[in-house]
Amino acid sequence: MAFFHSLQNSAFTDWFLGSDSIWTYPTVLTLHTIGMAILVGASFVINLRILQVAGAIPLQRLQPLYRFVWIGFAVNLLSGLVLFVTEAADRVIDPVFYVKLLSIVVALSFGIVVKRSAIGRADIQHVAPAGSRVLAAASLALWIVAIVSGRLMAYLKH
Amino acid sequence: MTEFAAWVESTSLSKTLFGMSWLWPLCESLHFIGLCMLIGAAGLLDLRLMGMFRGLPIRHVKALMPWGIAGFIINATTGALFLTMQPHLYLSSGVWWSKVAFIVIAGANALFFETRLALPALAMDPDADTSPGMKLVGAFSLFSWFAVLYCGRMLPYLGTGN
Repeated sequence: MAFFHSLQNSAFTDWFLGSDSIWTYPTVLTLHTIGMAILVGASFVINLRILQVAGAIPLQRLQPLYRFVWIGFAVNLLSGLVLFVTEAADRVIDPVFYVKLLSIVVALSFGIVVKRSAIGRADIQHVAPAGSRVLAAASLALWIVAIVSGRLMAYLKH
Repeated sequence: MTEFAAWVESTSLSKTLFGMSWLWPLCESLHFIGLCMLIGAAGLLDLRLMGMFRGLPIRHVKALMPWGIAGFIINATTGALFLTMQPHLYLSSGVWWSKVAFIVIAGANALFFETRLALPALAMDPDADTSPGMKLVGAFSLFSWFAVLYCGRMLPYLGTGN
């Protein structure tokens, strides 16, 4: 706990949150939103397609979308780490933060399983197996949970 | 514009909505969900027009567009609620007006695509390369939507929108 307090009360945090420059907190926050748009936007499309939206799209053709999933995730992991450092002590005791992290981890894992079981399989062209559809629906819901909990965290600042 | 903002703020609708403390965070969450739907669906079409995702028929990608349009409607609605609750914050902000301008630009670009390029694009061989005009329209659309996002997110930190 002392460690998280030292992060939150560090000179870096003071500079990062106290600076008048738009290149510190505002830019990292905006990068976190851009990363979200790429990560969740690509995930939405994959999951909707698994659920037979735009069902004429051959499943394998969506494989390159996973590159965007990982790019968005990398942007948000990095920007999220910086944002976490500046509120570390508040976040480690914030249950909403854990809800957000857990829903991201599970939604991403389901996305990987969907890739293995439906998108990346040469023997499946148009209709994903029932199991993949359940995972896609759950993943879609979990991304929404991640977004809502992320937004709510801003209201639970101390 | 200041008078208009003052009038909006004086209406009982504005006061009632702003008085519901849960409405603002709810609208923010919906605004984020809507933006992911919009950028996800429109972004894939834009990338396809730019020549990526070769082999993916453009007419099939277009079947995702109702979801992108639904995202836009969610965001226009929640945006209108933000504006009703805090008119001064937005109407006095140059960054907010830039955001509106980028939405108009993105809309005009989409209209140009629909009226001038959609027919040849839909008829294209799935493996064929897109025309320079289609590439330009796709890139322009992607840029405009991310500019909309940038202006919205940076609004509290840029210019007068404090």
